[in-house]
Amino acid sequence: MTEEPYRWLEAVANRREYVRDQLKGGSPALAASLSDGILLLGVGGGQSKVFELFDRHALAGLGHPADIEKIRQAAIDAAHTEAFTRAPEDVSLRRLVGFGLSPQLKTNFEQIFTAPFLVELLLVEIGAEVEKDLLLRLHFDGAFQFQSGGVMVAASLPEPETAAKEWLARALAQKTGRREAVDLLLQAWWCLTENKPFGEGIPGEADRQAGWRAATQGRVVEIGWLARKSPRPARYETLTLAQIGL
Amino acid sequence: MSSEAPMAGDFLSLLAGRKLPPWRAEPSASAPVQTQATTVFAFHFGEGVLMAGDRRATAGNVIVTDRVDKVIEIDATSLLAIAGVPATAFEMARVLQTSFEYYRRSQLQPLSLPAKVRALARLLRENLPMTMQGIGVVAPLFAGLDHSFSPPKPQIYFYDPLGAQFQAVDYVASGSGSGTIRSILSFQEQYGNPRPSQMNLAQAVKFALRLLMVASEFDSATGGVNPATETYATIRVLRSTGVEAVTDEQQSKFLNLKP
Repeated sequence: MTEEPYRWLEAVANRREYVRDQLKGGSPALAASLSDGILLLGVGGGQSKVFELFDRHALAGLGHPADIEKIRQAAIDAAHTEAFTRAPEDVSLRRLVGFGLSPQLKTNFEQIFTAPFLVELLLVEIGAEVEKDLLLRLHFDGAFQFQSGGVMVAASLPEPETAAKEWLARALAQKTGRREAVDLLLQAWWCLTENKPFGEGIPGEADRQAGWRAATQGRVVEIGWLARKSPRPARYETLTLAQIGL
Repeated sequence: MSSEAPMAGDFLSLLAGRKLPPWRAEPSASAPVQTQATTVFAFHFGEGVLMAGDRRATAGNVIVTDRVDKVIEIDATSLLAIAGVPATAFEMARVLQTSFEYYRRSQLQPLSLPAKVRALARLLRENLPMTMQGIGVVAPLFAGLDHSFSPPKPQIYFYDPLGAQFQAVDYVASGSGSGTIRSILSFQEQYGNPRPSQMNLAQAVKFALRLLMVASEFDSATGGVNPATETYATIRVLRSTGVEAVTDEQQSKFLNLKP
């Protein structure tokens, strides 16, 4: 009996290793809060990385498609039930994740006889002003971090993810256009997928741009846009590279 | 899969699974005086479908308000106009708004026009106990885009209170002022120049406002339009690109345009 807690800890550590191994090589997802709205970006097979959740909410992520789908569906169910029984204004990312998705992910991760979710996710909520934009990073074990505005990255490994986020935050400062923001997000995406450094030795801009263009050939660049101002309640739309001049 | 599992993309079965039905119709011995909303209509014009309604709600001989919006945007390509009891009609609109968006987001494709038309029929049928008691009666109009045409074609549907659905070829009206409006629309479609189906937006809006002005002369439950008090109608148009609202400012401008 005395060794049971140790076994549980070991099992959880093994699961963490297993999940990280399964997520290795997953295509990163990125989000940036701009003056006119929030951009989400992923590169995948189409309708597989970036999704609308509710009027002011969207999700992007990497991982097993079936697990992303389960999380997406659970979030959509919860948001619409909340909106119908209370009001659309009451749907909030903090409650959706804090009281819904996060506990479920944690439970699945720690119950060692159930399959863990193989996901790394970004969730965003558009606010009336940039300062009220909410970007949330949700991990496979249920841990999450909030941030007001700025940039958020979901990658399979923590260190490159942090480096990409810091580089993007600097590169995107003072930039408000969607075109240049998407270009920078794709440059960061390419550096992440090619394991390029973000500090000393980062490839030049021309190489980064040529890199993402070559790497996205035959794949779908999924771009989601949550508009800050819209005559309709639903703020989300999908964009193509051509639509934003890339 | 369990037979109890909610149907994919169906918001009503999701609510039922969580024991949150949108409304519960119970038999009642006596009905209270009900607030009623009239008059609404829709017609095809040269650029799509125009749907309009006055803004009055009454309860018996009492005017409850002159600020009701009876033409409701259900989603980017669907409009609902309500005539009847607002309490029931607004709830139906809310159910449809949430259901259509729930389906679109969860299934990653929009609901088809026939499915949208039937969704409203289903709500009317579920309201049957209230309808049979003579309370909560709703006779709505619906407009949506038919994507089997290219470009998508705006279509108009109307319902009886039991949920039967019919497609309107040229125009349709509902509510207590509808008799007057249907007569004028029929006349204008047969002998008018231009016919409603040939009008541009400015002409169609001006025509719609005048229809409500005339209807209000014969029906006290129809609020009409009064530029002097800046009381206008609720007007929305559905084009092949989607729904657009016609603002009070636009209505004022179009009403004052010389022919």
